[in-house]
Amino acid sequence: MGRSDRTLLVAMALAGVAGVAVSIYLTVVHFAALPLVCTTTGIISCERVLSSPYSVIAGSGLPTSAAGIVWFSVSAGLALVQLTGRSSARLVRGHLAWSAIGLATVVYLVFLEIVQLGAICIWCSTAHALVVMTFVIALTRSQTSAAAMGD
Amino acid sequence: MARPKTRSPVTARPGPGDKRTRPLRKPVSRTPTWLPTAATIGVFALLAVAFLAYRWATTPAPLGISSSSAALVISTITSLPGSELEQVGSGSANNLIKKVSGTALTGTDGKPELFYLGAEYCPFCAAERWPMIIALSRFGTFTGLQTTTSSSTDVYPNTPTFTFRSATFTSQYIDFQSVETRDRDQNTLQSPTAYQQALVNQYDTSGSIPFVDFGNRYAFAGAMYVPDILSGMTWQQVANTLQQPGTAQAKAILGSANLVTAAICQITGQQPASVCSGASIQAIETKLG
Repeated sequence: MGRSDRTLLVAMALAGVAGVAVSIYLTVVHFAALPLVCTTTGIISCERVLSSPYSVIAGSGLPTSAAGIVWFSVSAGLALVQLTGRSSARLVRGHLAWSAIGLATVVYLVFLEIVQLGAICIWCSTAHALVVMTFVIALTRSQTSAAAMGD
Repeated sequence: MARPKTRSPVTARPGPGDKRTRPLRKPVSRTPTWLPTAATIGVFALLAVAFLAYRWATTPAPLGISSSSAALVISTITSLPGSELEQVGSGSANNLIKKVSGTALTGTDGKPELFYLGAEYCPFCAAERWPMIIALSRFGTFTGLQTTTSSSTDVYPNTPTFTFRSATFTSQYIDFQSVETRDRDQNTLQSPTAYQQALVNQYDTSGSIPFVDFGNRYAFAGAMYVPDILSGMTWQQVANTLQQPGTAQAKAILGSANLVTAAICQITGQQPASVCSGASIQAIETKLG
């Protein structure tokens, strides 16, 4: 594993940990009905997004952020496994596929925020940015890995 | 070490004695490492811009109105003929009014009190203020009403309406207290008193706004019609439709106004008779119980 690849994996692991932290905060706020630390200015309104019907997973009482905890945990776990030296082409592709699922979900959630609700939640956007960052790194590593194997 | 001469592509032919060294790997066309990053961020940004453009294109523009036009609209809707209201009855309004029990709610002068809690950004409050103003104007006089619209970024954006934030209502039959908690940008505006908040906690268990309490005898929360029938309309256009009993807006707004009127008549002891003795109002009062 090259030094730059190691740096990318560390970045992915940190993004995962940060994402888990944000998701846990939003989940705790949801269940404990605590006031959310968020500004309400113009299109920015966490309250409107997080109190909308889209803030829970359809058919369940679970907030969308609970799915975020799972997604970021798996992503961080995959990065840590590869950091311990067990990196393989299959793991790199698996992480890319997991990231692509996350990215598709983020696109859908951004659509809901902007088009359906007309409001942006800063906490949600932070988590979305971490997913996009994870995808970009996974894509870069996948490309590097493929080039090294002469695909 | 001398490098072997390269042959011309035209004359190069593998001969029997040629020993060509084959490359260990196929040549790989390397994509620049920045390209996936740029492409992902670019596509993501384009999608966000497309979503914003779609939202912008499908959101009615905020309305504007001159003060003289606003005064004309208010004058029109506060002096609608009783015969027209009588003709509409409960129209297409959804009767949300429920009977409640508690110590009679009265104003400082002992008159029965009607308490309203809403917010300027709220589209359902925007819808409900039309019938509230029409109904209350049959019992007294409003001053200080101002035109506004609901939030541009909420559901049913920019619904044309009025605000009670600076309004005063005078009547010999009823006292009216209103609280608009936030402006159309959701900034804090007015706060209910502790007693008013206790009423909200007691009778508005869903936490919905608008909330209206008729002297602690009746109460409702929400709008009695869907605000989308006002979508894209100006105040003048809404006022014009209210002068035609057959329009969807008249059936919804005047129908809701009659429901509110009937509940008020119940707490004023059927005063004034000129309003409360109408057949439609009496029929609604019977349903209210």
